[in-house]
Amino acid sequence: MRDILLIAKREYLEQVKGKAFKVTTILIPVIFAAIIGISIFASRNSGSGKHIVVASNDAPLAARVQEKLLTDKNAHLTVDVLAPAADSDRRQLIAKIDQKQIDGFLWLTTDANAGNAKATYVARSSGDFATESRLSDAVDHAIVQQRLSSHGIAAGDIDALTKGVKIETEQVKNGKEVGSSTLGSFFAAYIMAFLLTFTVMMYGMNVGRSVIQEKTSRIFEVMLSTVKPTDMLAGKLVGIGAVGLTQLAIWAAAALLFSSTALAASLMSGGLKIQISPAEIGLFAVYFLLGYALYSTLFAGLAATCESEQELQQYAPLAAVPVWLSFSMITFIVSNPNSFWSVAISLFPPCAPIAMFLRIASQFPPLWQIALSLALLLISVWIVVWFSSRIYRIGILMYGKRATLPEMLKWLRYS
Amino acid sequence: MAAVVELDRISKSYEKKIAVKDLSLRIEAGTMFGLLGPNGSGKTSSIRMMVGITMPDSGSVQLLGKPFDRESLKRVGYLPEERGLYKKMKVMDQLIFMGELRGLDKGTAGRRAHNWCERLQILEASDKKTEELSKGMQQKIQFISTLMHDPDLIIMDEPFSGLDPVNATLLQDTLIDLKNAGKAILFSTHRMDQVEKLCDAICLISSGHAVLSGGMREVKSRYERDRVILQYEGENSFLQHPAIAEFKDYAGYVEIRLKPHADAQSLLREAAQKATIYRFELVEPSLEEIFIQTVGEKVDA
Repeated sequence: MRDILLIAKREYLEQVKGKAFKVTTILIPVIFAAIIGISIFASRNSGSGKHIVVASNDAPLAARVQEKLLTDKNAHLTVDVLAPAADSDRRQLIAKIDQKQIDGFLWLTTDANAGNAKATYVARSSGDFATESRLSDAVDHAIVQQRLSSHGIAAGDIDALTKGVKIETEQVKNGKEVGSSTLGSFFAAYIMAFLLTFTVMMYGMNVGRSVIQEKTSRIFEVMLSTVKPTDMLAGKLVGIGAVGLTQLAIWAAAALLFSSTALAASLMSGGLKIQISPAEIGLFAVYFLLGYALYSTLFAGLAATCESEQELQQYAPLAAVPVWLSFSMITFIVSNPNSFWSVAISLFPPCAPIAMFLRIASQFPPLWQIALSLALLLISVWIVVWFSSRIYRIGILMYGKRATLPEMLKWLRYS
Repeated sequence: MAAVVELDRISKSYEKKIAVKDLSLRIEAGTMFGLLGPNGSGKTSSIRMMVGITMPDSGSVQLLGKPFDRESLKRVGYLPEERGLYKKMKVMDQLIFMGELRGLDKGTAGRRAHNWCERLQILEASDKKTEELSKGMQQKIQFISTLMHDPDLIIMDEPFSGLDPVNATLLQDTLIDLKNAGKAILFSTHRMDQVEKLCDAICLISSGHAVLSGGMREVKSRYERDRVILQYEGENSFLQHPAIAEFKDYAGYVEIRLKPHADAQSLLREAAQKATIYRFELVEPSLEEIFIQTVGEKVDA
């Protein structure tokens, strides 16, 4: 036990004092903030800055559509009106699209009193969902206004009648309604799952690298003449795991500090309320530790069989498949947290830390599922540790020569 | 007195190669033991079995009078051939860490590390990171880390390789001091001149077999003094003497190899009659010659 602590302490101090620790501690939150910022910015600006033409046989309707489209400040649309429009205009408009003078046009035809309106959007690009939804919104709005107007309702009343309602979302937590925005809880899940993926992988690889460095620098030969290989491995896992927890704690503290600042308050007022409960933080730590234990022992065993860091890196993507699998399912899990696949993947040990965490963030799963996933994770950690520590013991000494099976069995008996 | 190390017919083979075959040896306290052999002869394999890094396929290892036991390793200092230190660690931290791992408390480890650094003249480097130091310096640090816990058995695999003569002598003298303090020291090398100077007993292994072993005097006495160095002035017809197998005459300085069991004294008498003899020396074979004779000419040493 003393040896394990000594080795853990050495590993911890070396890594915490190292340059990589400082760089990642600062850089990762910065990169995160940048990614989130860019994605928010991009989603706000998608389909913006386009030049479209509203062509209609009904000039007042076209004007209303134009007016509505122009009220959306984020869209930055340039909207021209062509009314009344004839079939020959349509051919001209198509030619303009072809010559890239405009991005698209909305062909709007109505019969008398704005009944039976028919709208077609013709554009160069398909799949521009943002513009489509803006257009559909504007056309609906304009037609309703037009019909109200034809029924003799005053302009001021029309505006009051057609004023939209913004939907606010609330989440039921512990039997109480909690104000939340879907975007907010999605981001919370997204950030925490990304953080979990990142740290589990980073520190798992870290253990692998540390093993291979000891192997290539031959230091283990000195160590093994004093310390048991299992103690060496255990010390390494504890030490590096503590480094990971330290880094997470630093980030948590920084986030807490940041959330009390004015800048955070102004960001949060934009409807982005991020709710993270103490239970989530506790579970985050548990899933981090178990996920880390699973992946780091896996990498340690793998590293012991490799000859160089390059060789280890070739294996790394393979071991990372489950992580990326659960990561790629983020959107699915967040929108369907209780579907069969979400439950299955959150119980499957290699994916459990991340997948279950996403479910926790979007909707708290039944306790038995969390307990089951933790139990399954613990069992698989135990199995991987059993195998890896044995592979480690044998593999770390074998450079150049491969161990034979009887030799491995002998090793199992001796140490 | 019980031997500090006793190997009893240990064997070890890897997939295709036999590394060590039926090797037996004994090392007493207060002696310096040389494990010799060409590269790849099984020196390192034998040493690894002594320190429990690998286990023999057959045969037994006794350390400090007991069958092999990991506890005994706390009284063994091992310097592997492949040098390994934590590159990012400061020298002093590294030495203290190694000392603590071998059961010292932090204070004692610090004091001893300081004393050793002073003794080996690297105190000024003790605050630097290991990777900033020269190879020779690193080797001295590793040498110290082997001795931090005052082990009764010191095992060093090629301790002097890569050192300049001044530092090699410094380490040699240190080892002699330790030997005189009653420690048992085993080192492996293929440098015969060092062994000849330092060792009380040797074991020469080749392809995993012990081909020659015993006390240094005893081993040497098994080989005839069959070489003569002679300096003369005058006629050289005595070089036709029947005792001579071959000779090289460098104008007044002759190196002679005698036939087996030839009478050197009769050669001296004849030479004295025919020429003026300034020097007539019957030389015992050097360990290097014994080594080459025993192992064969194809030695990669």
